[in-house]
Amino acid sequence: MNRPLLEITGLSKHFGGLRAVDGVSFDIQRGEILGLLGPNGAGKTVCFNLVSGVYKPTAGQISFDGQRTDGLSPHVIAGLGIGRTFQIVKPFAHLTVIENVLAARGIAHYRNLPNIWSSWKSSAERRGALSLLERVGLSDLAERRAGLLPLGNLRRLEIARALAVGKKFLLLDESFSGLRHEEIAQLEALIRSIRADGLTVLLIEHNMRVAMGLCDRLVVLDHGRKLAEGRPAEVRANEAVIEAYLGRKGSAHAA
Amino acid sequence: MSGYLITLGTIIAINGIVACGLNVIVGFAGQISLGHAAFFGIGAYTAALLATKAGLSFWAALPLVIAVSALIGLLLGIPSLRVREDFLAITTIGINFIVEAIFNNFEFFGGALGIGGIPRVELFDLKLRGTEFLVLCLFFLVVVMVVCWWLTRCWAGLACFALREEETAAASVGISPVRFKLLAFVLGTAMAGLGGALYAHFMRFISASDFAFPLSVSLLSMVVVGGMGTLWGPILGACIIGVLPEVFRPLVDYRILFYTMLLLLMIRFQPGGLLGENSAARRVLAKMRPGGTS
Amino acid sequence: MQLFIEQLLNGLATGSIYALVTLGLALVYGIMRILHVAHAAVYTIGAYVGLLFFDLTGSLFLAVLGSMAVCALVGVAIERFVYFPLLKYPPFVPLIASIAILLSVEELCRLIAGPQILTFNATLPFPEFHMAGVTVTSTITAVYCITAAVLLLLWFITTKTELGLAMRAASQDMAVADAMGINSHLIVSITFVIGSAIAAVAGILVGIYFNQVYPTMGAIPAYKTLALIVVGGLGSVPGAVVASLLLGMAETLLIGYANIPLPRDALAFIAMIGVLMWRSQGLLGSR
Repeated sequence: MNRPLLEITGLSKHFGGLRAVDGVSFDIQRGEILGLLGPNGAGKTVCFNLVSGVYKPTAGQISFDGQRTDGLSPHVIAGLGIGRTFQIVKPFAHLTVIENVLAARGIAHYRNLPNIWSSWKSSAERRGALSLLERVGLSDLAERRAGLLPLGNLRRLEIARALAVGKKFLLLDESFSGLRHEEIAQLEALIRSIRADGLTVLLIEHNMRVAMGLCDRLVVLDHGRKLAEGRPAEVRANEAVIEAYLGRKGSAHAA
Repeated sequence: MSGYLITLGTIIAINGIVACGLNVIVGFAGQISLGHAAFFGIGAYTAALLATKAGLSFWAALPLVIAVSALIGLLLGIPSLRVREDFLAITTIGINFIVEAIFNNFEFFGGALGIGGIPRVELFDLKLRGTEFLVLCLFFLVVVMVVCWWLTRCWAGLACFALREEETAAASVGISPVRFKLLAFVLGTAMAGLGGALYAHFMRFISASDFAFPLSVSLLSMVVVGGMGTLWGPILGACIIGVLPEVFRPLVDYRILFYTMLLLLMIRFQPGGLLGENSAARRVLAKMRPGGTS
Repeated sequence: MQLFIEQLLNGLATGSIYALVTLGLALVYGIMRILHVAHAAVYTIGAYVGLLFFDLTGSLFLAVLGSMAVCALVGVAIERFVYFPLLKYPPFVPLIASIAILLSVEELCRLIAGPQILTFNATLPFPEFHMAGVTVTSTITAVYCITAAVLLLLWFITTKTELGLAMRAASQDMAVADAMGINSHLIVSITFVIGSAIAAVAGILVGIYFNQVYPTMGAIPAYKTLALIVVGGLGSVPGAVVASLLLGMAETLLIGYANIPLPRDALAFIAMIGVLMWRSQGLLGSR
């Protein structure tokens, strides 16, 4: 049970000549919140897309719970208990909020040919979806059309959907981006409660204060390579990291 | 009811069945198909061949007709659904032209002369004609609508809706895009095949030009004008598109022009369809309801 | 051998005409991602208006100019009144509108000019050649020269002028082009003007080449050109030209000369499906 939940070894993704991710390796332990940081273009979202199956790696391996997952399709990876949010929110706009969550809860049925013909309009399913909405604070908007929600609520909806799918592991892609102060605090509390339930979280975040405060450990990428890994305090003091963010002159000031 | 109205009603009912199938593909799953007439034709030719060359009754042939239409839908769907959205429209147009060319050029399908002498449908020794046949078509229309209604309530349908809205997000919640697009496509082509069988036994003579590209355009127009993705949209669309040319008949020479211009205006100003959200019709109805807009 | 060369030349001529018709479609798709089926309507109008002006003035030159002007106006009208307002809807909405426009124009032509086939008896002021025992008629020479001239002009505009640069920018990313100060909507309209003017020339050329002008002359080209831009690679203008030339030759040589029993008009789509299976982005398409 001490084996890491996610093991990334020598992961590379090349787009023609561009090495978006170049030989990155790190592990994520069960129950931890790991932050993936780095300046723009560092390869964080590409990493996410590799883990969630949107891209196939050019080289390297990804193992989830002991099982190789590199090269699997996104819907198969979702079926393994990995849920994700998107940096640019992707709600099912014409469906209602609760239908968005129900669509995610359907993961229990989609692979089973007889099952897909059973109804999703049962009260048991509704209750399950509502409890997820309560968790993220959207239960009174259940019948609202998702396309009409403001950004903050859409980010929460994405998390509700990801929770429905991710029984073990959550990938949060800049979920704090564009949120107001109170919303950020609420979301931090939510993610902590998710971890308290036993889930593991990998998040990409630009907001340094959130990342430092929320994450147990950090991995910093730059130009597709891993620059540093460790606890927030260690990483914050790491010269290479400071240089990557602030430039050479900046690191002289910061030291 | 006059014979003319019964004929019109029968054509509308048959078109409604085929349009419902197209609505599953386009409205529920969000996949464009501009070649649906080809599957209508495949159903018609299969029924015609089984009736005239194999001597099967309509009822015995029906499961085969639906199976063949579904199977060919599956075979053509697999490569088609892998291409980018813009390509899909053109690929389905291509399928329509190629299928029509096959029907037109091979002796097995009667070539340019088509297939004639298709017998009427018999039920308990009674040959169905006129009103009775219309009732038969309406019966199948109800069956098809019940299937569509059930689809909206089951996980398969929800998966299709999610896919239509946002394919990447749908995949991230466990929905296999290929599997569910194919499912919608096969259901749609099966329904078209059913309509084709009814058409063959109604007209009793079919030829390739009955299933050409303009019909695919009409069918898509029915779905869009009525309201894509709604349950009653294709039926409403079939009624409107079926009735319009007749309404304009007094205009004699100008009727096709009026019909196409009206289609243009409808698409230009009500692209969501008459039953679609935000349509003028819906807004008027909402104001009429107590409590105002939804 | 002589027959083969004749057919080869015919095929190249047919291909050139396809290229002229497809060019406008490819340009519009490249910049607006809309399948402008109504382009065939513009082409039909070009043929009729060209014939009308020729009958009125006796001058082919004036006929071509007048037709190009009329078609440019029609093209821009379609873009501004139909396509632009529908941009926010899924792509098949403008497609249905486009098809409706094509059908309406066919009907209008039928009502105004009559359903019969009209003749376009003009001699193109191009020389006749004799080579290898084959006569290259002035019409065929005209087709080659005009196509080459149009392609050259288009190449010059898109690669050597600021307008061309703006067109290429807008077709890659319209939002960014707007941010750079390019008036994207104007660029789009200019693209329609260019494409429609070329369609006018193509319509007149076809009218003279086959000596036929009739209301439904746009129907087959409408769908064949769709297949051609797919084969060439959606968004690739050179691809569309190459595909058109190849198809013209394939149709004439395979079916006219070698008598392969495939329906001639379905060949475009069969080729399209074949190419798509082999290379899903088309011959010269990217990604």
